[in-house]
Amino acid sequence: MSQNKNINLGYINLFNTHIIPVKFNYHAPQTLEEALNLLNKLKDKARVIAGGTDLIVDMKLRRKEPEHVVSLNKIRELDYITVDSLGVKIGAIVKLRKIEKEKIIRERFPALYEALKSMASIQVRNMGTMVGNICNASPAADTAPPLLIYNATLTAKSLNNERKIPIEEFFKAPGKTALKEDELVTEIFIPYPPQDSHSTFLKITRVGMDLSKVSIAVLTKFNGSIIEDIRIALGAVAPTPLRIRRAEEFLKNKPLTEENLKIVQEIVAKEIKPITDVRSTEWYRREVAKVLVKDALMKCLEEEGGR
Amino acid sequence: MKYVGKSIQRIDAFEKVTGSAEYAGDIELPGMLYTKLLLSPYAHAKIKSIDFSDALKVPGVITIAIGEDFPFRIGLYVNDRNILARKKVRWVGEPVAAVVAENLEAAEEAIELIKVDYEPLPPVLDVRDALKPDAPLVHEELGEYAHSPAFNPIPGTNIANRFVVKKGNVEEGFKKSDVIVENEFLMPQVSHVPMEPHTCIGQYMKDGSIKIWTSAQSPFAIRYILGYSLGVPLHKISVYVPYVGGGFGGKAGINFEPLVVLLSKKAGYRPVKLELTREEQFMVAPVRQGFYGKIKTGVTRDGKIMAEKILYVFDAGAYADYGVNIGRAAGYSCTGPYYVPNLEGESLTVYTNHPWGTAFRGFGHFEFLWAIERQMEIVAAEIGMDPIEFRLKNALLPGLTTPTGEKLREDAGRIDQCIKAVAEKIGWGTPPVKITPNKIRAKGIAALWKAPAMPPNAASSAIIKLNEDGTFLLSVGVTEIGQGTVTALAQIVAEELSVPVEKIKVVPFRHTDLTPYSWQTVASRNLFMEGRAVIRAARDVKEQILEVASQVLRVPKDDLEIEDEKVYVKGRPEWSLQLKDIAAGYVYPNGNTIGGPIIGRGYYVGSRLTYLDPETGQGYPALKWTFGAQAVEIELDTETGEIKILKLVSAFDVGKAINPMLVEGQIVGGCVQSISLGMWEEYKYDKNGRMINPNLTDYKIARAGDIPEEHIVVIIENPQKDGPYGARGVGELSMLSVPPAIANAIFHATGVNINNLPLSFENIWKALKEKR
Amino acid sequence: MKIRIIVNGVERELEVEPNELLINVLREKLRLTGTKYGCGIGECGACTVHVNGEPVLSCLTLAVEVDGKEITTIEGLGKDGELDPIQEAFIEEGAVQCGYCTPGFIMTAKALLNEKINPTREEIIDYIKGNLCRCTGYVNIVKAIQKAAEKISQRKSK
Repeated sequence: MSQNKNINLGYINLFNTHIIPVKFNYHAPQTLEEALNLLNKLKDKARVIAGGTDLIVDMKLRRKEPEHVVSLNKIRELDYITVDSLGVKIGAIVKLRKIEKEKIIRERFPALYEALKSMASIQVRNMGTMVGNICNASPAADTAPPLLIYNATLTAKSLNNERKIPIEEFFKAPGKTALKEDELVTEIFIPYPPQDSHSTFLKITRVGMDLSKVSIAVLTKFNGSIIEDIRIALGAVAPTPLRIRRAEEFLKNKPLTEENLKIVQEIVAKEIKPITDVRSTEWYRREVAKVLVKDALMKCLEEEGGR
Repeated sequence: MKYVGKSIQRIDAFEKVTGSAEYAGDIELPGMLYTKLLLSPYAHAKIKSIDFSDALKVPGVITIAIGEDFPFRIGLYVNDRNILARKKVRWVGEPVAAVVAENLEAAEEAIELIKVDYEPLPPVLDVRDALKPDAPLVHEELGEYAHSPAFNPIPGTNIANRFVVKKGNVEEGFKKSDVIVENEFLMPQVSHVPMEPHTCIGQYMKDGSIKIWTSAQSPFAIRYILGYSLGVPLHKISVYVPYVGGGFGGKAGINFEPLVVLLSKKAGYRPVKLELTREEQFMVAPVRQGFYGKIKTGVTRDGKIMAEKILYVFDAGAYADYGVNIGRAAGYSCTGPYYVPNLEGESLTVYTNHPWGTAFRGFGHFEFLWAIERQMEIVAAEIGMDPIEFRLKNALLPGLTTPTGEKLREDAGRIDQCIKAVAEKIGWGTPPVKITPNKIRAKGIAALWKAPAMPPNAASSAIIKLNEDGTFLLSVGVTEIGQGTVTALAQIVAEELSVPVEKIKVVPFRHTDLTPYSWQTVASRNLFMEGRAVIRAARDVKEQILEVASQVLRVPKDDLEIEDEKVYVKGRPEWSLQLKDIAAGYVYPNGNTIGGPIIGRGYYVGSRLTYLDPETGQGYPALKWTFGAQAVEIELDTETGEIKILKLVSAFDVGKAINPMLVEGQIVGGCVQSISLGMWEEYKYDKNGRMINPNLTDYKIARAGDIPEEHIVVIIENPQKDGPYGARGVGELSMLSVPPAIANAIFHATGVNINNLPLSFENIWKALKEKR
Repeated sequence: MKIRIIVNGVERELEVEPNELLINVLREKLRLTGTKYGCGIGECGACTVHVNGEPVLSCLTLAVEVDGKEITTIEGLGKDGELDPIQEAFIEEGAVQCGYCTPGFIMTAKALLNEKINPTREEIIDYIKGNLCRCTGYVNIVKAIQKAAEKISQRKSK
């Protein structure tokens, strides 16, 4: 492949979506250990592939040109969903669609279920993984806001180390995560939300299947009319998906009055840092985020009322 | 009638559902090479030098071509287009060089190694700026370009065509008006997004002949233009067109065929294939022109339009070879389906440094109807009249004159019936309803009309052959781009010759060596024109059958009848002959043979069409006018600007539905395309004129979830006497006037006028916000 | 690299490069051209095929990744010269115009009806949202899938 990158032709020639115009070495380790060994050896020369729906597009458009591609798909030990008394554990190569079909997800993690159902196409959900969606670190990743409100934890492994990363500390910038180059996210653990809490996911898009302009996940637990626990996370409104701690702190131990709702909307509008891009403008994102915060909280309140 | 008027299944459906239908991309030829294009990163720049010496060294690369290799200009109406950019580039995405290689990987690698030295020039990125006297010129040599006599380019400006229409006395008309309303309207450039991107293969043969396999709407136009530009006689050029994966106008005229042919010659006469990626389809292939309109309407208090002054400006982009006709089409129907006694209309097609524009389903009309149908709503509100009543009061009915002074024929379609039909079905007359504090439901309506935008001499023809077993072969030049015309044509043959549709094969490909001539597959002209040609061909076949049969059966021809694949003596069905027995000549028991293979032919050209007067635009441009109307009920979320289309009603006076299922398919599909263009689609540019959304992630088209919850189609049939069985065309019409119906509904819901497309949630929200 | 796959019931052994895409292997090496390229980035669904019974996008699938798997393309539907009920329904309901997106839609519909015998209109619309059609406006495609579902359940009850 051409190494000549000093000619500035602009992105318009990086266009081939018929083929992957990049040659690479392909590895399909059978075990996690093998995979970690490879990453330890290849470091930043390698890219990990599980679903491929992001990486292959990036390679076609030559945004990424790895020398090595390490496929996780033959590693059976990463293909599991286990449920225990604390929560759900999901292995790195579990397809999005499989997670969505899991009864426990629909029943106990409705915000995640809604996010999964709303994202991409059936085909992409059959191919892509949740770990991939998170590791790609798109600000608009639809599974991020739900995982943020459920306080999910990621397990990152390297050849000589294993650590747990709370999801809130995982996203660093668009496309950048806390992961080191020889590390692999092997599992997402999602603890059960508090008993009698409600959670929901909403998003605004341009057409029926689209990247989010703004997405939101909210979790509430009421004690009578008082909000005892509240978690709010938004996507596509800042360099990373984020929790809006200031809004949560404000609402805690308060009733969800119209006035409080307005204040929370303003806090959210202040806390987020949306940008103008091809999909939306900054100010529309800010305004719509306010509407979504209200709608999501009202939906939780309705559920509480209907309990 | 046994076959006409019936919803029979498409004759091409089996191949298409089994994946066996052939498209240009499926064709592989021995020794085939692949080409990849180097695109201009500048909207406007001089090409100072191109160095591709390193690129040529890449293994697998056969040749590299640049503009100077191909000193030919091409074009349908105006010969303004280069094969590859020469001397300068005119839009971001214009092909500057082409690499031909054994495979795409090698071509891709080589493309990166080509070094082009550009000297940037100031670009023209707004069509209104392009009209300013000091605007940079996109085509300095406009005066030297050959062009059709129907067009009027103005050298020394960016105006590729100026069309003027004048009727009555506008100043007098405004004087008699009680209220004068003036507004401006905008529409961005959009893409056809055919699911199959442009694909073509060309081979220059050593004997100087040329072979083309292409995903194109108009094989004969390609052959003619190529022959004219390269100086090759037409019998040495053959163009093959298999099924086309959607055209919508984007594959009309001539596109990349000359490029692959010339590349083939340069690559040692091997076939060369160009298959655009989706991203290239957005940037390299032609688009729907952008539009600016300014309309001044004078009206009396009781709702009569007295005068109208209209300016339409089309953003042709870098080339206007086909695009000049878009401004012309909008010009001659500029008032919409209304009678305007005093009119001054000007329609300009203007070069800019945007991607080049071409035909797109309902061209000219989709654009200006956005303006006119919004204007009608605003004017009605100004004088406090119900918009339906206002439209009906000014409806262009048979006997009244069109903008070009044509008296609308007696058997023309009826706009009043279309408007009334949609008003009734949408339940017009109820005020907007608030469903929740933020959600309002409201209705809107818009009308439409269109005639085929074609030259007066556009022709069609047909050949019908009787096979030896009594089956038939129909050959026509209209390409099958999804619209289904050929199925309707088979029904016409069936009806004319009284033979089951299953016994008629329509040749599934077009090959200019074998296929009878058709000017182009465009303009909703083909059912009408090919239809007439097919009827004539069928009657020719019939005549030949009767000729032989009258000898064999020993009765005069007019005593014979053809039915159920037999020819028999009227009243004596036992005296008959099977059609198959005369298909290739009738053989007597002793071997004597009379007659011979039966081949019928027919042609059709429009009757008494004229060029339009260059000063006044007066004349007869229209083969037929098709009328229609659209009505919507929407639900608007005033907090986010989101709208949902709850119900859509479409009515068209199609004259006669030869195949109602196909007519409905065209209407439903066209309406969704219209909603998509109206609500989401838009070429977005950065400040340098570079498109920033050239892929389907960022350029959104309607998906299954975006369609109206309910769509009612009303087919009105006032037959046109010279149409085949009374039919008029409808293919393009279905995509007209849905966006203004939606915007009119938003107006009724909120009092806010939105005059710029698209009606994206964000734009609606912004408009509502500005009013608050 | 050598891969072994079963394509429409036939076992194949192929030599492929790591950067080769399943769509190109199917179209160019096996000449199964019913699978179409539409966008190359997973937005249009024209290249939908089944891998081990699940609908996936062949334009975003490395050929090496399907080693050992079973692939069904549009050419693999229907048996003994008979059309699949979905193919029949697409013809009958006028769900085909230019036909370029049709194989992808049929493969997606096939997966839906394998999963669920009687989907609602809303479920159908949601399931096919990853397939783009520029001609039909989707209405007849939805109708065709509903009709195919009826056909399939009728045949099962027989």
